Amino acid sequence: MPVLLSEFEEQETEVAMLAGMPNVRIHYIRGPIWAKTNEQIKKQVIEGKSPVTGKPAMAEMVEMLTKPLTAEEKKTGELRRDRGPATYTGTADELQKLYLEKRYTDFMPIILPTEEKVEDMLKGTSHAPDEVVGRMNPGSDAGDTWTYTVKDCAVNAVMAGAKPEYFPLILAIASGNQTSINISDNGFASAAVVNGRIRDEIGLNYDVGAVGPYAHANVAIGRAWNLISINGGNCGKIGTTYMGTVGNAQNALATIIAENEEASPFEPFAVRRSNSRAGSGYGFGNAPGGASPKYKRGDNVVTLLSGWGVLSAANWKVNAWQSLMDYPKIIKGIYEQQNPGLFGTFIILSPPIANFVKDAGFDTVEALNKYVTQPDPAAKAAAPAAKPGGRGGFGMMGGGIDLIVTGASNNNYWMAGGLRPGQAIDIDKWR
Amino acid sequence: MKRHLMIAAIGALCIGLFCSLPALTQAQGKKAASTAEKITVLNPMGTPPPITAKQMAQPLSTLDGKTLYLVNTGFPNTERLMEEYKKWFQANYPKTTIVDQRTGMSNLTPALKKELQEKADAVIFALGH
Repeated sequence: MPVLLSEFEEQETEVAMLAGMPNVRIHYIRGPIWAKTNEQIKKQVIEGKSPVTGKPAMAEMVEMLTKPLTAEEKKTGELRRDRGPATYTGTADELQKLYLEKRYTDFMPIILPTEEKVEDMLKGTSHAPDEVVGRMNPGSDAGDTWTYTVKDCAVNAVMAGAKPEYFPLILAIASGNQTSINISDNGFASAAVVNGRIRDEIGLNYDVGAVGPYAHANVAIGRAWNLISINGGNCGKIGTTYMGTVGNAQNALATIIAENEEASPFEPFAVRRSNSRAGSGYGFGNAPGGASPKYKRGDNVVTLLSGWGVLSAANWKVNAWQSLMDYPKIIKGIYEQQNPGLFGTFIILSPPIANFVKDAGFDTVEALNKYVTQPDPAAKAAAPAAKPGGRGGFGMMGGGIDLIVTGASNNNYWMAGGLRPGQAIDIDKWR
Repeated sequence: MKRHLMIAAIGALCIGLFCSLPALTQAQGKKAASTAEKITVLNPMGTPPPITAKQMAQPLSTLDGKTLYLVNTGFPNTERLMEEYKKWFQANYPKTTIVDQRTGMSNLTPALKKELQEKADAVIFALGH
């Protein structure tokens, strides 16, 4: 018999159903338990009442362990599940309202996906409409794994306002099986880094505002990933497949980042990772990890990332503004604070900062990483012994930084955070 | 004369207005019709996997003489919750054997699974989300 927090009742009822146990007896208690003393737990839980049924908690627990099964609880066999009709008909206003009510949207008006518009979107790929593109779950065993086809992705791409020329990149992202809206109460963010000629082909922005919503392609593709996650993968539904305690503003639009390869002194991100021993991607939820295929400059690649997200490097005390800045040392300071975090250390340098790093003698990101991960003897003496492989407890990730270069050269600003790279996917495969 | 011209002008104006009214109404009608025009759109959902309801385990007729496992799944502070559960059961069901065990958050080791299948009459897992 599981004991679960009542705050997750709706979700856990669904989880139980998905596991083939729609009538399993679950004992709910009010959370959180974390940080409570024995006395508090005794008074609030053991001597309290069930927050769901109102029954005395322990009496309910014993009843659940001993009461005979009801006729409903004895039922077995297939549980019918329905994705709904293939089409909906109505006026434009009626359909906008319907799609909002059915939670098919991101709460914003959509481009209504008529057959004609979807057919147009499908011209962006040579793949058959009924080909299965991906299998996605919300990021844990808490949700089940839905499948979606090329046509399903096209419907969602139309809704997002995407153009057919964006569709190969959208399909490449969708084929990664990674939701952009992870279920976790942590409130994770998702991002995709794009390398290759496709950046200019479809108008991705990698200048001023590169990490923000400042070009049609970046916005529409990020929105399409979200809608595919919501509809294709059944993610992002509050109470069942989304439980972020305070949420994450970076979920409003999955972040699509085109690397500014031309202004970067380093090799493109996908090329570096594919040639690095540390280039294996981390799996997340249903999204597999593993070694990256080999890529070269110019190849059209999208790398999927997940984690806490990124924010301005100005948030870190080590990056206090001075007239002369030692950026490698600052990056090392951020890494030491983050390491071995759950999602590692992800650095987004603007071209000026990247050039400062190169001018400081680090010709490659690998050279910078060697410096960054070199332990400071004084800090090492004061720190507790690290576990082998640089991993801490609780699934922590060590092993250096991941870094991309993007944005403009109008000032010395940059970003850092915790995002770990997963798969690096060939976009051209989806043309 | 001037009065006649004025009356004629007013009359022409009225005739003009009267003639344009149907056209105006027709234009408004067309606009209303186009906003009320029905269209057909596609369902954006993916496909859920099938689910088969499993047979539930039979509850116990009594806790007396039975072995009850308390399995801690490792969420922070669950050990305190399990301590309190254990104290309560020991105080209220002294004929029930209580066994503590520990597992990972999302998986049951094969060894523990085997132990539970062989030795447990009932299992309480805590604490999940």
